[in-house]
Amino acid sequence: MSRTRNNPLADDLLRPLLHTGVWFYAAVAALGSVVACGLAAWGYQLWHGMGVAGVNWPVFWGFHETNFVFWIGISHAGTLISAILRLVNARWRRPVTRCAEVITVFALMIGAIFPIVHLGKPWLFYWVAPYPSARDLWVNFRSPLVWDFFAINTYLTGSLLFLALPMIPDFALVRDRSTGWRRRIYGTLALGWQGTTMQWHRLEAAMQIMAIAIIPVAVSVHTIVSFDFSMANVPMWHSTIFGPYFVAGAIFSGIAALIIAMAVLRRQLKLHAYLHDVHFDNLAKLLLLMSLLWGYFVTAERLTVWYGNEPHEMAVFWATQRGQFAPLYWTMVTCNFIVPVTILSFRRLRTVPGAVVASLGVLVGMWLERFLIIVPSLSNKQLPYSWGQYAPQPVELVIMGATFAAMALLYTLFAKFVPIISIWEMKVGNQPHPDAVTASEDEMSELWKVRP
Amino acid sequence: MTPVYALFDDPAVVQRAVDALREVGIADREIVVMSSEPFEEWEFSHRDKADWLYKVAGAGGLVGFAAGAWFTTATQLAWPLKTSGMPIVAPWPNMIVVFELTMLGAMLATVGTLLVTAFLRGGPRFYDPAISDGYILVGVAAPGERVATIAHTLTAAGPTRDPVPVQ
Amino acid sequence: MAHRWGLVVDLDGCTGCGACVTACHAENNIPTAGAQEAARGRAMHWMRVERYWEGEYPDVSVKFRPVLCQQCDNAPCEAVCPTYAAHQTDEGLNAQVYNRCIGTRYCANACTYNVRFFNFFNPQWEKPLHLQLNPDVSVREAGVMEKCTFCSQRIRAGKAEAKQAGRPLADGDIQPACAQSCPSGALVFGDLNDHESRVARLSHSPRATKLLEDLGAEPKVSYLQKRGVHEPDA
Repeated sequence: MSRTRNNPLADDLLRPLLHTGVWFYAAVAALGSVVACGLAAWGYQLWHGMGVAGVNWPVFWGFHETNFVFWIGISHAGTLISAILRLVNARWRRPVTRCAEVITVFALMIGAIFPIVHLGKPWLFYWVAPYPSARDLWVNFRSPLVWDFFAINTYLTGSLLFLALPMIPDFALVRDRSTGWRRRIYGTLALGWQGTTMQWHRLEAAMQIMAIAIIPVAVSVHTIVSFDFSMANVPMWHSTIFGPYFVAGAIFSGIAALIIAMAVLRRQLKLHAYLHDVHFDNLAKLLLLMSLLWGYFVTAERLTVWYGNEPHEMAVFWATQRGQFAPLYWTMVTCNFIVPVTILSFRRLRTVPGAVVASLGVLVGMWLERFLIIVPSLSNKQLPYSWGQYAPQPVELVIMGATFAAMALLYTLFAKFVPIISIWEMKVGNQPHPDAVTASEDEMSELWKVRP
Repeated sequence: MTPVYALFDDPAVVQRAVDALREVGIADREIVVMSSEPFEEWEFSHRDKADWLYKVAGAGGLVGFAAGAWFTTATQLAWPLKTSGMPIVAPWPNMIVVFELTMLGAMLATVGTLLVTAFLRGGPRFYDPAISDGYILVGVAAPGERVATIAHTLTAAGPTRDPVPVQ
Repeated sequence: MAHRWGLVVDLDGCTGCGACVTACHAENNIPTAGAQEAARGRAMHWMRVERYWEGEYPDVSVKFRPVLCQQCDNAPCEAVCPTYAAHQTDEGLNAQVYNRCIGTRYCANACTYNVRFFNFFNPQWEKPLHLQLNPDVSVREAGVMEKCTFCSQRIRAGKAEAKQAGRPLADGDIQPACAQSCPSGALVFGDLNDHESRVARLSHSPRATKLLEDLGAEPKVSYLQKRGVHEPDA
């Protein structure tokens, strides 16, 4: 029957693992060198002190902290797509879930580096972990930074497991189709998977539980990251809106990152048969929704501040609306709201290139949003005599660039060693229903064509 | 004891084969079905449901909750330091840490149980790499004297590859 | 009763001379940032004198306000420190434990008075300036936060001296460097729990105000408002 003989699904999706082109090596070399520059910059900062960065009195947090929040925000892509769509059984998620989950894991790893990079004494970063130390001291659980430690570690653990579980049957597939060292390595990774009914049930139950558990964890993670700001009595930080605002912004930037990653994958790995235009269309509609939601939150926050007219807050407010940060602020509004809503509202513009353009704009806009939350408030605190300025230094810019290169590099390496689309989940999507009338060979072969 | 199995490529035929095996007296727990994708909507997949795993997750969550609550309280009392006029044992901040540890407990309990029961204890001692090409394997691990009957039943169901007694 | 250290700043007496700033630097081994770093906002003045101009020529007036760590009872900086480097002592001081600090700088952001300072580089003293370092006070390394401690080394020394001499601590026994050096006596330090002390009486004066009092940090530094030209003595 044509089901096994002519189905190109596994062949297509395993091709990147089994064949390596020259582009792969070129990409790894280029991205690897940018990452190396970032590590060198960090070494420079470690050697000379935090003074080589642009932070000062009173703007003690700058680019490093902006990047921290930005990358943790990107990591919410996987959770939304994988977990929520899995729970509501949305069929169109199947080719997209692993792409999204991979973004989550790597963005979290990159984001989790910044709490170490921004420390004055980074070699003592483990002091935020609760362990019986020789100092007779445990951590201060009242500190949002300790909440960060627990939240990010829980989310990272959960995301890694959520990513790894569905990979096991695909590792078994690679094991069965390869020889030599590949067979040994993938065989170990497959953990002896055989595909019995019992194993499938347990795996799927575990994945369902992880999907249910990871959603509140994801919401809590970015809420807790927002608490790094809202718990301090700094004008325009100490706001109750920060929790939901940050979570919505995180999902927003995560979807944008996912659209870009999928567009690149589709082109580089020739996955047009699996990543259809309708996938991009659905994600673009989600991006539009999040853009509108972002606009709602910003309006609600700013209207409240403006209406209250509290002098400390208004100093920060005007600094962003009309003052020195106005160019960045209005760029952010354009990138996060005006451009995406324009492009994504009209079907003729909501194409794959359109969605990618909107997503790139959203990434820029969301990075600016993190920056504009941190720096203007710190520059204009309650006592005007101590207002100050911040300007980023080369060290911070190089490290930031290296994180983008690191993301691309990790993603490239992942797509080389693991099927980027979950093969068995795609097969499930193409299964015949037991109540379907058994038809002729030709009709059956129609059914086995790959569908979204 | 050599297992006997056959490979099919149509879940409808698999269903017929499984029913036929039941008719000749093979018990449900002896029938092994292996595939490269789950067939949730087919009856032959309806055994071995793992809904008990949710209870494991719940138990793991409770353990995480208790561990978190004890840990935060005990360490805050062990070295009491006044900060910002907050109480020594601060329930609201502690609640956040307890929540994270609860979720971590649930997740680790689930995955740990999965790994131990589904993999490390091992399943049937036979396998056919053809499963990764999309075939569905139906067989019996310990056929005993019923080998001939089982092989005959499987052949009658119409497999893609004929029954194989594993050497 | 336990001590509760507080400070009163008489804005009427402050001439903005900056002796307190200099004395604080000398007493507490505070590094000088240098002109270039100070321009980048890296100056570390545990005590700073804020200067505000008011009015147009020829009716210009200037106000000086010495600002230092307010040693708040409800300090916003303490709860946010992950390693308990900032916490409150039994005598109401806001302690900064340098050895616990890993340099997250969250406390500095949370401080509403901007009185916390960070060692962006390892401090350096060109010879022979290293000879004037105070041996009673540690030298902090790069990556550590620091701030005014009400000269805790002098508090400790004063208490030890009184105990050794077998007499109770008297008002005026302990003087932080700023109070000691103020030529107009505008800075008054003492035990707020001692109702007879100058600081306790002055902090209850009708001229006494607190900086950013409505934010609720409950600072222990009181500022006595400047008297108007024709106002009677309070």
